[in-house]
Order: sequence, then C-alpha cells, then structure tokens
Amino acid sequence: MTLRRFLPMVLALVFLFGTLAPAAAQDVRPPGATAEAQQTEAGPPPGSAGQIIASPPDTMNYPYISGLWSDIVDGETGYVSIPDERAGRLIQTQGMEWLSWRNDELRRWSSYGVAAMLIALGGFFAVKGRIKVDSGLSGRLIQRFKPHEVIGHWVTAGSFLLLALTGIWLLYGRPLLLPVMGQDAYALSAEISKYMHNFGGFVFMAGLLYIFVMWVRHNIWDRYDWNWIRQAGGFLSKHSHPPADKFNFGQKTVFWMVVILGGLLSLSGLNLLMPFWFVDSIEAMQYAQIIHAALGMLMFAAILAHIYIGSVGMQAAFRAMSTGWVDLNWAREHHSVWVDKYLAGNNPERKGPKTPPPDEGHVEPKAAE
Amino acid sequence: MGKMVFHCDGDRCIECNACVTACKNENEVPWGINRRRVVTLNDGVPGEKSISVACMHCSDAPCVNVCPTNVIYHTEDGVVLHNKDGCIGCGYCFYACPFGAPQYPQEGNFGSRGKMDKCTFCAGGPEEANSAEEFNKYGRNRLAEGKLPLCAEMCSTKALIAGDADEIADIFRQRVVERGFDSGGYGFQQKFGQQSGGGPRAGQKL
Amino acid sequence: MLTKKRTNSAPPAPHMLNRLASAVGGAVDRRTFLRRSGIAAGGAALGAVLPVGSVRKAAAVETAPTAGGNIEMKRTVCTHCSVGCTVEAEVSNGVWIGQEPGYDSPFNLGAHCAKGASVREHAHGERRLKHPMKLEGGKWKRISWDEAVNEVGDRLMAIREKSGPDSVYWLGSAKHSNEQAYLFRKFAAMWGTNNVDHQARICHSTTVAGVANTWGYGAMTNSYNDIHNSKVIFLIGGNPAEAHPVSMQHVLRAKEKNKAHLIVADPRFTRTAARADEYLRFRPGTDVALIWGILWHVLENGWEDKDYIRRRVYGFDEIRKEVAKWTPDEVERVTGAPPEQLKRVAQMMASNKPGTLIWCMGGTQHSNGNNNTRAYCVLQLALGNMGVSGGGTNIFRGHDNVQGATDLGVLADTLPGYYGLAEGSWKHWARVWELDEEWLKSRFAEGMMNATGIPVSRWIDGVLEDKENLEQPNTVQGMVFWGHAPNSQTRLPEMKQAMEKLDTLVVIDPYPTVTAVLHDRTDGVYLLPAATQFETSGSVTASNRSLQWREKVVDPLFESKPDHTIMTLFARKFGFENELLKNIQVNGDEPLVEDITREFNKGMWTIGYTGQSPERLKDHMKHQHHFDKTTLRAVGGPLDGEYYGMPWPCWGTAEMRHPGSANLYDTSLPVAQGGMGFRARFGVEHEGVNLLAEDSYPEGSEIEDGYPEFTMAMLKKLGWDKDLTDEERQTIESIGGDSVNWKTDLSGGIQRVAIKHGCAPYGNAKARTVVWTFPDPVPLHREPLYTPRRDLVADYPTYEDKTFWRVPTLYKSIQENDFSKDFPIILTSGRLVEYEGGGDETRSNPWLAELQQEMFVEINQADANDNGIRDGADVWVHGPNGGKVRVKAMITDRVARGVAFMPFHFGGHFQGQSLRDKYPDGADPIVLGESSNTAQTYGYDSVTQMQETKATLCRIEAA
Repeated sequence: MTLRRFLPMVLALVFLFGTLAPAAAQDVRPPGATAEAQQTEAGPPPGSAGQIIASPPDTMNYPYISGLWSDIVDGETGYVSIPDERAGRLIQTQGMEWLSWRNDELRRWSSYGVAAMLIALGGFFAVKGRIKVDSGLSGRLIQRFKPHEVIGHWVTAGSFLLLALTGIWLLYGRPLLLPVMGQDAYALSAEISKYMHNFGGFVFMAGLLYIFVMWVRHNIWDRYDWNWIRQAGGFLSKHSHPPADKFNFGQKTVFWMVVILGGLLSLSGLNLLMPFWFVDSIEAMQYAQIIHAALGMLMFAAILAHIYIGSVGMQAAFRAMSTGWVDLNWAREHHSVWVDKYLAGNNPERKGPKTPPPDEGHVEPKAAE
Repeated sequence: MGKMVFHCDGDRCIECNACVTACKNENEVPWGINRRRVVTLNDGVPGEKSISVACMHCSDAPCVNVCPTNVIYHTEDGVVLHNKDGCIGCGYCFYACPFGAPQYPQEGNFGSRGKMDKCTFCAGGPEEANSAEEFNKYGRNRLAEGKLPLCAEMCSTKALIAGDADEIADIFRQRVVERGFDSGGYGFQQKFGQQSGGGPRAGQKL
Repeated sequence: MLTKKRTNSAPPAPHMLNRLASAVGGAVDRRTFLRRSGIAAGGAALGAVLPVGSVRKAAAVETAPTAGGNIEMKRTVCTHCSVGCTVEAEVSNGVWIGQEPGYDSPFNLGAHCAKGASVREHAHGERRLKHPMKLEGGKWKRISWDEAVNEVGDRLMAIREKSGPDSVYWLGSAKHSNEQAYLFRKFAAMWGTNNVDHQARICHSTTVAGVANTWGYGAMTNSYNDIHNSKVIFLIGGNPAEAHPVSMQHVLRAKEKNKAHLIVADPRFTRTAARADEYLRFRPGTDVALIWGILWHVLENGWEDKDYIRRRVYGFDEIRKEVAKWTPDEVERVTGAPPEQLKRVAQMMASNKPGTLIWCMGGTQHSNGNNNTRAYCVLQLALGNMGVSGGGTNIFRGHDNVQGATDLGVLADTLPGYYGLAEGSWKHWARVWELDEEWLKSRFAEGMMNATGIPVSRWIDGVLEDKENLEQPNTVQGMVFWGHAPNSQTRLPEMKQAMEKLDTLVVIDPYPTVTAVLHDRTDGVYLLPAATQFETSGSVTASNRSLQWREKVVDPLFESKPDHTIMTLFARKFGFENELLKNIQVNGDEPLVEDITREFNKGMWTIGYTGQSPERLKDHMKHQHHFDKTTLRAVGGPLDGEYYGMPWPCWGTAEMRHPGSANLYDTSLPVAQGGMGFRARFGVEHEGVNLLAEDSYPEGSEIEDGYPEFTMAMLKKLGWDKDLTDEERQTIESIGGDSVNWKTDLSGGIQRVAIKHGCAPYGNAKARTVVWTFPDPVPLHREPLYTPRRDLVADYPTYEDKTFWRVPTLYKSIQENDFSKDFPIILTSGRLVEYEGGGDETRSNPWLAELQQEMFVEINQADANDNGIRDGADVWVHGPNGGKVRVKAMITDRVARGVAFMPFHFGGHFQGQSLRDKYPDGADPIVLGESSNTAQTYGYDSVTQMQETKATLCRIEAA
C-alpha cells in the first residue's frame, strides 16, 4: 500500500468536508464584513464606573421559571422563525447529567484507569525487569520496517500523543492546572491545546488510515496466534518464544485496538468538531463528547503498555521503530516465521552491535535503563 | 442580596420578536448569533403560546461549572457573565445549558467555534463598564447605567420583564391575581434543581 | 483532586479582580440601582401604576455626564405602523448609537415590536440606495443629483407636452410626513393632474369611504388607549399581534384588567386569535354575511339599543329587512360559521357594553369591501356602541402616516382635508395658497381638473389599456414611485409589462425597491435616494388621529435628500417653485417644515387639522408624560385638559387651543372638550325622512336637537354672528359672505362661535346605515370574483362591469367563469411582524431579515396531503390570472381546509427566478423571495377600487 492510494482518500475526505456546507434553500445575502456602512462601529458612551463585583452570589437559587415553563417537558420543541430549528427546543435536561459525567465520572475513572495501568507496568517491570534477547545480539541487522512504515507509525503515534496530552490538558486543566498557572495563562494554553487537538486530529486520522491500509494484512489472525496465546506470549517464563509472523498476537491486539478505538475516536471527534453536522440532537453531541473522552483515555492507558514494551520493557525492540532495522537474534525470538521468510527471500542485511548472551539469572538494575 | 431574573409571561407574549431585535440593536449582535429567541408552542392551533428565551442567569449555572477555563462567572447581581478572552470555544457550556443559550460564531473551517456569545443581561463583560472594548466584545452595559436589559424594556406587551427576582415575583403575582388565572400552571416559584435527582426538572412543583 | 468539584466559586479572571479595585468607587449599589431602573415601569405598565418615566429620565441625566457628556436624546416616532410608538434615539456626535424605550409615550409606554426595536438600523443603511442612479444599456450608472433632476425633469416634461399632464402618474406615500404628503398633493395639483395616490388606496380606502359615508369621518373613532375601557373587543380581519403588536398591549390590558371578552373573527387562526376568548372562523370574503348573522341574533332577541337607534341612526328599518334574510342556516351555508357560536358571540356583545369593533385589511381588501366596513359600522350602531368611551370602530391603519397622507389628500379623488374635486374646493385651496385659480386651471388638461384620477391599484391599466378605453386624454407614460413598493399591488406579471411599456420610470425612495428590478427595461429608469423620516423632521398622524412631531435624529445618509427637498428641486425644474412654496421659507433647497405645517393648518378646516400648530405639537412631545395613559388627556401642567397629539378634529385656530377629540361622536362631552354628534354630511333629510339627530346633542349644546352644518347664514339666523370678531367677519365677507361655511372660513370664526355655543361646526346628524349614493345602499353580501362556491354565485352575484376612476373595471365577466376547478384553494394574504409593506426596507435590515428568511405559503394539512406536498418543500402557487410563485410550504392548521395564506412582504424573485443581480450593487435587500401578488388576481372594490387580495383562488403543486 502506497501513498498513491492513500492520497485520493485524503482528498476525498477534504472534499467532503469542504462541500458539506448547507446549500442555501432561500435567497439571503447576509450582511458581510465588508459592508459599506456609513456608521460602522457605533461605540458606546465611554466609561462610567463599573458595578460588577467579581464574586458569585452566596445564594444558590435556581433560575426562576414560571408560567408556561412549568408545562414544558424536556425536549419539547416549538416553532422559531429563524432557520435554526434546534433553537425551537426549550429545555434539555440531559446537560446536567452530562455535566456530572464530564466533570466527575470521566475525570475520576480516567485517572483511575491510567493510574492502574502505570501501577501494573511498574509492577511488571519490578518483577520481570527488562526482557533481554536470550541469545545476545547477533550483529546482523535485518529490515523489519521500511521507512514509510516507520513514518506512518510515528505520524500516528506522535499525533496521538499530542491529542492525548491536549485532551488531558483540557479535561484536567481546570482543577489541576488553572490554580497553578492562573487563568490567563491557562486559558491561552487551553486555546492552543484546542487548536492542536482540532487540527492534530486530522493528522491522526490520516496516520491511522495509513497504518491500517499498510498493516492490515499482517494483522489477520493466523495459526501461530493460538499457540502464542497459550504461551501468554512467553512473558511468563524465560526463554519461551512462541513463533510469530511479522506481528505476533500481542502486536495484532495493539493494532486492532488502535484501529478500532482510533476509528471511534475519529468519528466521535469529527462529530464534535463539526457540531450538528451529522447528528441533530444535543443529546447525541453530549454522548459523543463522553464517548470520545472515555475512549481517548482508554486508548491512552492501553498505549502506555505499548510504549512500555516497545521501549523500556524489551531490549532491542525500540530499534524496530527507530531505524526499522532489527537484530536477527531478537527477530528470531519474537518473529521466527517472519525471519524465515525474510531470509529465504534474500533480503538485505546490515551490520549492527554484537553482544554475548546475558548471564543466566542476572537481573539488571532497573535504574540502569 | 438580590438576584436579577428574566420572566416571560406566556399569556402576554405574542411572538413579536421585539426582544430579539432590541437585543441585536443594543448589542450589535452579528447575523447568525441569537442571544434571545422566541419559541412558539402549539403553533397555529388552540393553546398556542409563545415564550422568549435567552440565558436565564441560573444561580447554580451548569455553564459556570463546566467551563474548562472557568471564565463564566456570576456578578453581584446574580448575572452570569463570561470573559471572552479566556473562552476557547469548546462548546461545553452549550451542551450543559438547559436553555440553549450559548451561541458561537463560526470561525475557520469545519464549523469550528469562535468565542462563546450569550445574553449578558445587558451587563457587558469583565472589562471596564461601557468601555469601547467591553462594547465590542459583549455589547452595551445597561446595568452599569442603571437601566435594565433592553429586550424587556421594549417588550411590546410587557410579557418579558426583567429585574430583581422579588419585584418580578410581585409583579407577576399581581397579574395572576388580576386576571384570575395563571398562564400555565402555578409555576412561578418553581425551581430548577439538580440536588434531588440529577437533572433540572421542569414540572417539579414546590 | 479528581473528585467532584461542583463549585462555581472558582476565582474569576485575575485582571478582573484588579479592575475591581478601581471600579468599586463608582459602583451602583443595589438599592440605588433598582430605584433608578425601569423595572417599575416595565413590570407594572399594565398594572395600577403606570410607567414612571421621570424616574428613568433622571437616570439618563445622571449617567450621561459620566458617560462622556455628548449624548443627545432625540424623540421621534417609529416609521412602521400606525400605533405611533415614540422612539428615543441616543445620538453622539451625529451618530445614532442607541435606542431607549419611550416610557413617556401614552401610545407605547416604552414598548416596541421587532420593527420598532430595530429602526436604528436605518442609520447604518448598509443596503440603502446611496446615490442617484440611472439604468443605461441595462447597467446601473451613478449620476449626480443635478443630472438626475434635469434628465427626469426633461423626460417628464416631454411627456406632459406630448400627451398631457395626466400621462405622468405621481404615486405618493404613507411614509411621508404630513408636511411632505401635503406638499406632494399640492405638487401634483401644480403639475396638473389628479393621477396621484398612495398606499391608503390598497389599505383602508374602503374603510374611509364606508365609514365616512356612514357618520362623517373616515377614521378610527376612538384610540388604542381607549380600548382599555372596552368590555368586548370584536376583532375581524385583523391580526394586530403581528401587524400592530404594541396595540396588543392595550387589548390585553382590557382583557386582563377590564375582563373584556376578546372575540377574533378571521379565516386564519392568527397569533391574535390565539389570545382570544372566542375564535370565529369563517370563509374569506363573507364578512357581510357573518356580521348580518350576528346582527340577526341581536335583532331576533331585541338586544339592539332601540333608543340609540331612534335618536342617532338613519335607515335602520332597511337594515332589518336585509338582516332578516340571514337566518343562522343561511349564514352557515355562506360563511361556514356555526350558528350556536354566532349566537354566543351576539349575546356576548349585547350583554357586555361598551364594546369596540376593530378591523383591518381582512375586511377592506374585497370587491365589496365598502359593504364590509359599513356592515361593521351598522353592528356597532345597533348595539349603541358608537360615540362612547370603550366603544367605537377602532380601525387600525397600516403605515405610520397612512392616516395623515389620507387626510392630506394624497388621493386621486380629494384635495387635502377631503375637499372633493370640485370648483369650490379648488377655490378654497387657491385662497389658502394665495394663488390665482385661473393659473391652477391652466395647469390641467381640459376638463380634467375635477375628474377623479386613476387609483394606484389600477395604474397598470392606465398604461396597458388602449387610450380610447380610458377616461383621460392619453395613457400613462411616466410613473413616479415616490415611496411605494410595487409588490404590494396585485397582478405583478401585468405590472411588469406596464413598467416595460412606460417611457420613464422613476423611483424616489431610501431603497431601490422591487420597482428597480421587476421589469426587463434597459433604459429610462431612475433611482433617487430619499432620506428616511429619521433624517428629517415633521408631523405624523397615528391611527387614532393624534399628530406627533418627529425630531430629526441624524443627517441624511449618503447622498439622500428629504422628500420635500426633492419636491423643491423638481418644482424648480418644472418652473412652479414660487407657486408651490409661496408662503414657505426655503433654506437652500429645503423648505422649512414648520411653515408647511402652518400652511395646511390654514386650510384643513373640514377635519380639524387647524389647531395643531408646530409649536403645540412640539409641546405635546415634550410633555408626553403629562398625559393619562387611558384617556390621553393631560392632567395638569401647561397642556392641562388637552388630548395627546390633539387628535383631529382639533377645531379652530391654534390660538383657540381646542384640545382635540379623543373619541369621535361622543356626546357626553362639550364640543370644546372634544365632544360631538355625527356629522351632518348628507343633507338634512332624504326622501322626506329626517337625517338630523333627535334628542341627541353634545353636552352643553345650546341647540338641544339635531342641526345642519354651520354657515355664515346660519350664524346670522341664530343671532350668533355678533360673536364674530371684526377680523373674522372681514375674512368671511371677503370669501363670500353668507355662503361661507365652517369648511371655507379661513378665519376659523364660524367654528369658534359654533363651539362657543356648544355646537359642532359640522352639524349634528344621524349616522346613516343606508348609503344611497353607493352601488349597494344597504351592505350586501356578494361573492368574491374568484369564488370556490359556484352554488352561491346565483344568489349573491357580484356587480356589473363598469368604468369608473377613468378605467374599465370588470366584475361579472370575471365571476361568470368557473375557476374553481383548476384553482380549488382560496388564497388570502397578510402580514408578518418582522416586515412591513413591500418589505424592501425591512428585508434590508439584518436584525429583521434574519428572523424571516424565506417566503412561504401556509397550507392546511389536508390540502397538502391531497396535493402530495410535504412540510418545508418547495411548491408552486398558481393564480388564475396566470401568475405563479415558487415558495416553501408550511403545513399548518392555522388555515382551514381549502384555504392558503401567503405573507405579502417578499419581493426580488419573479416566478421562480431570483432578481438579485438586477439590483444596483450593494443595495439588494438581504432577503429576497417571491411576491404573493404575482399570483394574486384582478378584483376591485365597487366604490374605491381597493384591490381584492383577501379572497381569491389558487392551485398549489409540489415544485
């Protein structure tokens, strides 16, 4: 799969959004910014002293509603003469519920989730330490990922991390950051975050589409997977390396997790980005927001594990996504089937560092990594 | 400590939209932004009633709670205002608001939102009262001049009234007594609460 | 940290806190704040306490200096409907920066509707016509005022020379101030034609004719405020909630405080009907049948006011005869109104008095519109509701100054003050104008001086008819639209042809209007920018006959000029500037407005437009807060006892200080305080029956019976002539001695003396229910020209074809054809609150245009389903004259099955095509849409040529 096939899709996407603006059924030329008005900015009379006291009232009354309001049920919609038909809706009550989900449940459970993952990974590392290449580095490097694969990965990964960070920034900013940064600074950072999130989303979607097209055929489950699952990927015992093709079952799981959650995030995100383009009710917008944030946090937690195993957790693994060239021994241990195919195909090799096999029973100090 | 409120008398409102244009006029609200709107229920059939809606300046306002940058606040008069400088246009206040009050200019591509705009009870914003800056961002600050919101002042049938909650209550009570019937249920003192069960309840009687 | 944080007490923006420190000093504490605010006013306006205008004013004075000091408050009057809402304009350095509620005004008490609340946009004027333009080779070209006046002037004079003065049509406007309207009529007279008219023709001409012929004056008898006193409000063919929203304040006040019953009779369940106690639905075009149906119950049960009828009503027996035919069954057959409901309504009206009757264009715009208006009057007379506070026929006029423009004679059949086209009238005005009558005569074509002109509803026929068929020397070749939208008239496809056939087409207006784009002309069209009423000053007459004075708010925008200035320029070009402005001071090109007022004060004796001098009018505006909000009477102060705006008749000279007449024909007051009987307009007897009042006379009258109108001879007979001053006597003698009457006495002496003796100058007569000069002396039901009820045509046929108002007019030859097979749905039209008239002005105002962006047709659900139409879909509405419009379907039960409704304010689309490209650059209205009148049909009132828009036929198809 190459860029040539990917580009049209991007273009199609852009075209779709670019032309989705509602066609004017009526003949209206609204006043423009370049309006030729004799009196433009009609300024107010300059400064009389302000009377706003910047503290909230100590009473906690609720809005005075009366008369007709008492007969109005949630969602009741009347006639409005303006074209925005949604404005005909008088009351939506789910907002209060949404508010408590967004402000309380989401913040709480997301933080629990991320914390749980960090604890689990820490624990795993404490127990297991860094997984070494059993047979030592061979000094022979083979090309696991071509440059375009590496780029595709990092575009997706980088944009995801940006989205995660900016998303978290907005979700937790008010309780955590705002008191520290002050309102002006935080608001500025939040606005920057919003724009990075909004535009970063498109990069992520592009990357996601790219890695999907590129890797989907390697991520179809095959006959090695069951064995891999039975052996729990070899994580639980030493020197156990179930065979795998280009991707083992763990990686496939990450792939599908990314594709599915990323896809859902993209859809819900587009919906949030273009309010009411795809859905009509405010409730749908609220659900989209909760789903988007919850899935985002879930994916973030899962990706933490992926980051762990690709970096700190396993010797020589990071090379796969940094240069694309991996040590033959490492590859043999984790992707034996793929290595066999690779070698059989007379593919190129390079020279790399060479180390002896690590001593049996030697546990490296954690801090050393 | 009082509290500023709007009250729309469903038995008086005739959907003349004076409140809407008065708002546009006084605050130079651009095309497409509707700080106030008039909704007609049972349009064209017996029981037709209209009601003018804008920000209700709730005391326990969900928008104040949800705003990620915490720029929505109450004034001493209980008016809910916001600081556009800190608004990031996330749209959360719109999701939270029971009355659909927050409005957003469309800026940039993909319908992305500009800074939120809503009824200010003609009380401007955090800037110096009636400064040019305040006017350009929020419109006129009538409260600072000792005047009430223009929408209510200009209401053709005096259906929409604005002012201190207690006075508004008195006026409406007097009307109900005079006309011998209420416009739609004895709901005046009704409150909108979240303590007893999550969402605001229209229809809950006290 | 992640637990619930549901607090709203988080610190606000730091810079706000900083600002707070400096702001505390000037903070308004709550108590002061509430005292200053308008809350008491806004809230209690309908309660016992009325607005505390002065409290608010104090606040304004208090804040203005701190606010920079250069804010001026200008007091003017809204230019949209006839309620006459005061607009308080805040002006800073010549820029109109804000509008404040005019709490002092007794008419609106601070209130506005959407239109009134948006008038400041006139001073933005984004879509205004900015400079004179002409169409040259199909392109708009900017020209100077000099060029414009010269070219237009030369072209019109060429037409005048070639075809006579009647070949130029001067179409005036209800948007003009009284002064401009007066000057316009005078201008047309000096041009030499009676082909001059304005919107009143297509708005309330049948009212004016019907009502004036019943009791003397053709105007709203009471006032909006007087509705407070009503116990019953019967509203027919009107939708004040959208057309006159501020009037609803008064209606609802009566309903709530006075427990008045609100009855709304309308084919359409309007916003007003939604507020009614009783909604009476009936078939469009059957008003007379409906009213006779109600009156049948009244008479059947003896609920009529027999004593009142004896004393003050002529010809009631003939009414009895006609009404007897309208049994409940027959009424139901014709109108569709259920008998039991009519009985209930009749009982309600008979047992709750006083009751007022309100109508608007739903009643007037019919081929038998004059019958409708007279039937309403008869019902009120039968119930004895006329001439009492809380009663009357409260006719809501449409435009802000349509009453004034009518009074000042911008009509094809009268001179200012309803002086008919006759030698005596010309003599009278020649005296006022201090001109030689012979010179005036010389301006007219032979024999055309006293010939009624072509009405605006028919100008297209004046162009398109062969000249042999016209009762004037030649066809119309030059058309001047001076403040009139073409799309408010029916038969637009034919109008397009007429516009194309003209030699010269001129638009003088703040907006290009549909006139600029409807036709496919490439040359000979001129657009001249007129200033709005906010850019000049002058008086304006509200529906209740009160005059108000408008202050100038801002200077004319762009290159626009006030209308009276443009008239001066053209008069100069035509060579009669000196005659036109003989007694009027001219500053540069602009005549002094006050001088024009003073001039019409000198001549408008018939309807008492003589006492309202500019000085008095300005005083009334200044002391608005002195007037009672129900009686309109000043309580104390310098204007003690005067009625707000001196509702006409304000008899005599300004020096006489007559207070004006709040309620017409009210005998409970002395004439000097606004009382009077019915006008003795139709002689003293008819066919041997006395027409004068019996045992009825205004309070304090020295003649305790009916009497004819006052003349010098009558004064002498009564021996009252000795009360005349020498000066008065001299004036009378110089005019004509004994034959001089109250209308022609320029001294005002006859009026003064009559009033001194408690008598109304115009006499004291009965109202006549039989107008023997009309086609139907007793109001009859006649089926509309385009009727779906072929079964009723034989019983209630329309009139014979005839030629009147210079044009052949068809009735029977149209009704003979059965259109109902191809066009089965009744089509009616009406207003939307956001727009007014042809809508060019309001559709160009973004604050209003945003609220109604699409032209639509209301269709009943059943009709929609029968025709496969879905809500919101585009449909074609076809009219039987061949016009069609493409509009959006709005499916609603607001209209009954078989009835469709369209608002008439849209324009700029023609039969499915947008004409936006044809507007001059930047002057296209924000919202365009099809004009309902493209599909509306032929059909004109048998007396006034009012167009029939409220009952025609159409076919609706999915587009």
